[in-house]
Amino acid sequence: MSSKVSRRQFLSYTLMGVGGFMVSATLMPMVRFAVDPVLQPKGEGDFIPTPQKVDELTETPVRVDFTIKDRKDGWYKSDVSNTAWVYKEGDTVIALSPVCKHLGCTVNWEGDEKHKNEFFCPCHNGRYEKNGKNIPGSPPLGPLDEYVVEVVDGYVHLGKTVPNTLV
Amino acid sequence: MNWTGKDMDTYLLQKEYIDTLVIPLVKVETKMDNMKTSASSTEFVMHLASLIETQFKGRMMFAPPFAYTPETDQQHMAQTTLREFSTTTFKHVFFLTTDHTWTAMELPGQVIWMPSIPLENMDASLRNSILEDQLRQALPKFTEEWSKH
Ligand code: FES
Repeated sequence: MSSKVSRRQFLSYTLMGVGGFMVSATLMPMVRFAVDPVLQPKGEGDFIPTPQKVDELTETPVRVDFTIKDRKDGWYKSDVSNTAWVYKEGDTVIALSPVCKHLGCTVNWEGDEKHKNEFFCPCHNGRYEKNGKNIPGSPPLGPLDEYVVEVVDGYVHLGKTVPNTLV
Repeated sequence: MNWTGKDMDTYLLQKEYIDTLVIPLVKVETKMDNMKTSASSTEFVMHLASLIETQFKGRMMFAPPFAYTPETDQQHMAQTTLREFSTTTFKHVFFLTTDHTWTAMELPGQVIWMPSIPLENMDASLRNSILEDQLRQALPKFTEEWSKH
């Protein structure tokens, strides 16, 4: 066969090229989509500023909302809202994830009148102590996760969530 | 839980805990003049659904939204398509909508009707607080139904 590229070969090469490109173009965002992007800050040491002043914190957990801007989720960018329960223990700022360790509902501080000084999960009456320790006899099997905290210019900045280090 | 393969796997393992199905009902207008309102209320319903889903992930499964057009005979849709949900394995079924017509119909579950609020010009935090207010109003309907059985 001559070393010239025949018309057929040329066509099949270019088509394959285009096909391959198309496959990767559709696959890439799908892979991103599959890796749950919501709870993962972009990398280690990636802190997100919150409107919470450290000065105003007490020993009682307060809800702090923060927004991860321009989170890329598949094809489109959007802002993701996140929440933490934040309080002070001596001089340390503690931020707990509100995601229940049973099946993932959002827990509330003193969410049930009958259980003061606890986090409460409305879904199946899950209960946690202030440090996030799950109370035996209620459905959750582990303690609430903790956020990595950094204080910048008097404001609470939150990083990724890690397994609870307090219990 | 969302209507995804992964969440469905969790559901199948945790059926006794995830006992509630929520079905959004959205009207898709086809006439130019009504399209904006229709888009805006769909946006509202879907945002509200997603907020409720994050709060009650471990107890509620969200079906994909059921869409219909002005020509749809809603009575008929209630008696056929939607009636099938009466045989579901979920103990509690809710329909979430901004379309008032559904409140007068017999459905195999409770209708949670909310007035639509246009969210398109709000920033994320305002939008969230508005939606949370709406959720607070709907909440008693859920808890009341849950406490029945
Ligand atoms: S999801 Fe919190 S107790 Fe079940």
